[in-house]
Amino acid sequence: MSTNVQAQTQSIFDELAARQTWRFKHIVYIALIGAFLAWCADGVNLRPREVFNAVPIIADYFGRMWPPKWGFVEAIWKPSIETIYVALWGNVIATIVGLPLGILAASTVTQSRILRGGAMGILNVFRSISELIWAILFVAAVGLGPFPGALALGMNYGGILGRLYAEAIENVDKGPIEAMEATGASKLQVIMFAILPQAMPQFVTYNLYWFEVGVRSATVLGMVGAGGIGFELITSIRLFEWREVGVILLFILGMVTIIDMTSTYIRGRLY
Amino acid sequence: MLMPGSTQSAPTILSVRGLSKSYSGTIHALRGIDIEVKEGEFLVILGPSGAGKSTLMRCINRLVEPTDGKILHNDVEMTGKRRNLRAVRRQFGMVFQQFNLVKRLSVLTNVLTGRLAYRSTWRSLFYNFSKEDKRIAIECLARVNMDHKAFQRADTLSGGEQQRVAIARALAQQPTIILADEPVASLDPKIARQVLTYLKQVTQELGITVLCNLHQVEYTREFAERIIGMSRGKVVFEGTAADLTDEILHRIYYRDPDEQDDKDHS
Amino acid sequence: MGSVTFEDAVNAAMRLEAQARTRRYIKLSAWAALAVAALWYSAHQIKFSLAAVIHGVPFMWDFITRLFPPDLGYLTVLGGATVETVQIAIWGTLLAIIFSIPLAFLGARNTSPHIVVFHLTRLLLNSLRAINELVFALIFVSAVGLGPFAGVLAVALHATGMLAKFCAEEIEGVDKGQVEAQMATGASRMQVILFGVAPQIVPQFIGYAIYRLDVSIRSATVLGLVGAGGLGFSLIQTMKLFKYHQTATCILVIFLLVLISDWICGKLRRRVI
Repeated sequence: MSTNVQAQTQSIFDELAARQTWRFKHIVYIALIGAFLAWCADGVNLRPREVFNAVPIIADYFGRMWPPKWGFVEAIWKPSIETIYVALWGNVIATIVGLPLGILAASTVTQSRILRGGAMGILNVFRSISELIWAILFVAAVGLGPFPGALALGMNYGGILGRLYAEAIENVDKGPIEAMEATGASKLQVIMFAILPQAMPQFVTYNLYWFEVGVRSATVLGMVGAGGIGFELITSIRLFEWREVGVILLFILGMVTIIDMTSTYIRGRLY
Repeated sequence: MLMPGSTQSAPTILSVRGLSKSYSGTIHALRGIDIEVKEGEFLVILGPSGAGKSTLMRCINRLVEPTDGKILHNDVEMTGKRRNLRAVRRQFGMVFQQFNLVKRLSVLTNVLTGRLAYRSTWRSLFYNFSKEDKRIAIECLARVNMDHKAFQRADTLSGGEQQRVAIARALAQQPTIILADEPVASLDPKIARQVLTYLKQVTQELGITVLCNLHQVEYTREFAERIIGMSRGKVVFEGTAADLTDEILHRIYYRDPDEQDDKDHS
Repeated sequence: MGSVTFEDAVNAAMRLEAQARTRRYIKLSAWAALAVAALWYSAHQIKFSLAAVIHGVPFMWDFITRLFPPDLGYLTVLGGATVETVQIAIWGTLLAIIFSIPLAFLGARNTSPHIVVFHLTRLLLNSLRAINELVFALIFVSAVGLGPFAGVLAVALHATGMLAKFCAEEIEGVDKGQVEAQMATGASRMQVILFGVAPQIVPQFIGYAIYRLDVSIRSATVLGLVGAGGLGFSLIQTMKLFKYHQTATCILVIFLLVLISDWICGKLRRRVI
């Protein structure tokens, strides 16, 4: 009897010890993560006092934007519209780049591992290089202006869209594909009649979403000389014309909101 | 119209000889199937799910490549060569359990996809079909009484209507044989009878042979001209509805203890 | 069925098909004309020209050849900038997580204390989302000076807009039954949020935060273009000094960093969700 009780007590003690070491492990983890974050904060000059000081300064800068200089609207009307054109053509080019590569990269369409890997590889390269770096490259090639901006968006978003297209294709209902193959349809016919009609709403949703993102990106392409409102923005900031900056920010906000609402409306009517 | 008795003397349209299919060498879906199909008959393949009925159908129109054995269509061997796959497949219309229509396309376009194998890829890419193809498609729709819904989207139809459209799609291929894989398993009994009636009536009018997979005994008794019973990848019965005794049903639907060993060493 | 009536039905359907096709063609061509006009006009506005692309190929080629070979010795200098880029992204995202949790509850229809608060929060979040990190970075560089601190703030603000909106939508989509059960026990509003709402959205929120970290690393690589720290600063400086071999090294490092972060964040996300 007594040995039994002792054994039980011992096992409870063991468990307790095990739990305590487990807790100790947790403390070590938290300490390590804390130390890592502190090191990161130190690296980027993020100290509580600096943050505290920065708040009124930033508030002051946003305060300087008020009241907006409404007369400036005339000067930024055209570049704003240009921003949308850049995003629109960026989207078109992205579709032209992304669709064939996306179809090739889908495992349900392409049997050849090499072809599929190649297409995915190209998409990954396009995707991983930011639109601003693409813009620098295209400005070097075709000169300053909105056109290199559209090309830059097209390449970057082509990579992103291509990968999303490939996923959408892989997730399509397989039944109609089998049925189409059973009628003796060729590969291309199967793609046209069974795969694309099923994946189309998904494609349109992605395109709309990345058009919205494209408009936001296109507002900064002007900083590297690739058209749109970014050039006016950077100029006004360099000249400390904060009331002009205020107008530009409001303009961007209005533009993005309108496009958001439009695409939500279109998406609701898709399926 | 062919008389029920006349199928006995009709020529063989399809013969399957020693057909086997195994996946990765261990799972045996088919183990040496021998079947003779007579021209114009309505042949039901009866068996529980997992008996290999679907695999057999997919082997016949080569959606699945058999591991061993031969398939002869009008005495021409079809297994082994991949060159004329499109021409082979278009002779076999297929009807599926889940209908497999493209839901976002119109009923008519769905039926027109049955004509794809007859047309060049490039001409059909942009949904262009010849007047002749459209006439064939509409005729097929009219045969299953679905012509009045030709311009609706396929997903607006009920299950029974979708299956009738799927039958029309198979008919549009102008096939010699229709392979129906559990065509009514997803439908309620009243609609199931209606769909099977359409399938049998239309194919008899056009003289098309039907191989129909079923797992329900009552439909089999009602519609089959001849029955083949399958169990665990083998043919275990061949005969008519009258021959389908309880003892035979037991053999089709319940596992034999002897066969258990067979699975392990084969 | 008599053969005459069958023929008639087929003929009638053929006529209907012809009509439907004409109507479809008219509708299709109208839309196509509209789309072509819009694209044509905007192409004209942005000076779209394939000739310029073809003409530009030698220039681009020239630019690319000047990038090669990348100056691998420059890697030692870039080490610090790379670490800084990751640090900016981590703290930017962390601050965004901290800001976005209260904002998400204020900006969700079902947990917001008042409809006015809800609309104001959504307006704030939409503004933060609409404005690109680089724009924020430009303003903050003027306000708090050059360096990574401006970058952290820029990433934090934009990411807050994104995270809080996503989280607010998740909160609006929670299972009502669990919330009602909590309310039925007599729990306070805060308790309901803590025990009824929060557990339902935590996995999605963590998943999205990891995705946001990946996006933040991407943006942190270019913040330096406007002087807000990280690899982008080296990129633009070496370009301005025409040290293209070093620029190439920068592009290479950015590319690798983005690939690695994409891979790691993808793995982490799959483990959480």
